[in-house]
Amino acid sequence: MRKLLLLVALATLVFPAAASAHATLLKTTPGFGQRLERSPAVVRLSFDQSVDALSDGIRVLDTKGRLLSKGTVSSADKRTVSAPVGHLPRGGYTIRWRVVSADGHVVSGVYTFGVRRRAPPAAEAFGAGGPTTSEHVVRWLYFLTLALLAGGLGFRLLVLRGPLGPAAQRRFYRLLAVGVIGALEVGILAFLLRAEDALQLPFVDFLYGDLTPLANGTRFGTAFVAMTLGYALVSALLFLAWLTDREWLLWPAFVLALGFASGLSLSGHSAADAGSSWLSQFADWLHLSAASLWVGGLVQLAFVVWPLEPELRRRAFLRFSRLATVLIVVLLSAGIYLSVLRLPRLADLWSESYGQVLLVKLGLVSLALLWGAAHHFLVRPALERGAPPFARLPRSLAGESAVGMAILLAAAVLVDSKPPPRPPQQQPPLARSDAATP
Amino acid sequence: MEPPAEHVHWLFATGFLFLGLLLLARAIVGDEVWRLRAWRAYLWPSLLFALGVLMWPVMVFFTNSTIHMIAHGAWAQTMMLAGAAELGLVRGKLHHRAWRLALPLALAVSGASLLVHEQNGWLFARAAFLHHTLGWTALVGSIFPLVAILRPRSRVWSSGLALTLVVIAVFLYADRDVAPIFGHLSPLAGEPHR
Repeated sequence: MRKLLLLVALATLVFPAAASAHATLLKTTPGFGQRLERSPAVVRLSFDQSVDALSDGIRVLDTKGRLLSKGTVSSADKRTVSAPVGHLPRGGYTIRWRVVSADGHVVSGVYTFGVRRRAPPAAEAFGAGGPTTSEHVVRWLYFLTLALLAGGLGFRLLVLRGPLGPAAQRRFYRLLAVGVIGALEVGILAFLLRAEDALQLPFVDFLYGDLTPLANGTRFGTAFVAMTLGYALVSALLFLAWLTDREWLLWPAFVLALGFASGLSLSGHSAADAGSSWLSQFADWLHLSAASLWVGGLVQLAFVVWPLEPELRRRAFLRFSRLATVLIVVLLSAGIYLSVLRLPRLADLWSESYGQVLLVKLGLVSLALLWGAAHHFLVRPALERGAPPFARLPRSLAGESAVGMAILLAAAVLVDSKPPPRPPQQQPPLARSDAATP
Repeated sequence: MEPPAEHVHWLFATGFLFLGLLLLARAIVGDEVWRLRAWRAYLWPSLLFALGVLMWPVMVFFTNSTIHMIAHGAWAQTMMLAGAAELGLVRGKLHHRAWRLALPLALAVSGASLLVHEQNGWLFARAAFLHHTLGWTALVGSIFPLVAILRPRSRVWSSGLALTLVVIAVFLYADRDVAPIFGHLSPLAGEPHR
């Protein structure tokens, strides 16, 4: 399959004139994500060039997948295709469209609209698939890269200020480069995977799928736009800091790296699910930031300071230990609040798949806390007394950071899972006098 | 509200024109004279890096197809990489000669992306013709910085790179949304409005 795709790509490169005319969607009626006050009589799509309409080229579907549109027809100039629809009651609707460009390629897309209610997000269009294993892995990689980036910067600025040796400085910047480039690349990949879920198209058709309704009309699209721009800026700042040895440039990079991580909180469960508020979004961001600083800091301690800066080991360990205590408090407080918010019943922990993943995550967190406590209560006092660092401490730090990464994997699965629905709020019983009122 | 694609092309054309003229000036006077003022060595790599950063907004706001988005992302990254590698070499932060390959690589990848993402034929419309021409110019032009690595004192190869960038700028300035090319305009392309 890969060879075939490579051959197709090469053939397109060598014989570009053989291909022609890919249509671009210019205008739609109803618009992307539009809320209409009355049912539309027809759905109309206009393109920048002539297209051939397929008989089912425009399909209007309700939330249960019932087809509500009739046959698709072309206008005289073949640049507009339309399909009549019957009366649509109040609700959210999905439009899936496919037309044939002049070169025979199918161009497709999906968007949503609402009649007397808000349009559902394009990612929740009828037929959209849920998150796959690939998305879990990509989300995990996203968390890891954010941890490398924000945690690495936090460690350098809050724990280990001052000059580093050339080798340590080089490795520090290499880890940051992996973090920021990874955040950009993985962010793009995550967006494309989510778009693929919504569009549900074969690979070649997906290449020409219209992503505009997803980029402009969804929370994750907005987060993708903001985070890509933000991390591009962070990469430029980091590069300038490295190039010019101006370490103050790391501060704006750190603030932006943590700030733009909020894109995940503003587009996830804490922003979109029932019961979400500014507080849940803020708690989610705090949770993510604290985890990133903790895991990223451990990586710096284990792989930069310990092997390359023996003189700084004691100071770095003691200062990171103090910071980690604060981070753990923030992490646990925000985590407990979010867990209570998303799982109002204790039984959900073992009866719902979301709760089961949360249980795994809690188990890993407990392990990490025990590990951290051993460092805090056994290693730290010894170092404060001036004892030499334990020989196995670097391995132990690497082990703790590995558990931290496993927690991020559980968090990635959790983020992609749907929390159980909140129980309906009970109506207060009517007062006896009210009940008696006719 | 997105600006028309041609306006974005003109913006980048201005950047490439400056880039080409700076490299041409360096090729004419020679590297020794060019570096009499230390800051001059940073001029064109900084501009290339900045053009790469500016390409990111284009990537995230022009999403009418997946392949367009990926192509714009490839240009953003290759321009940033090439500019960063040259700046690192100038500053003395990078030493390995392999970093000099970043510029020819950037041109080659950009050219290939241009060709792959333009699916219309050469004479479909002016924009399509220019995309093909730009793609092949960048691909063939990548030979100039490649050979210049082996022959750093040769003015032919460094001038070739500079002129390639000037030609790219001219092509980008010539772009129009829907306009004929050599009298040809596909009836599928839409009404000419320039």
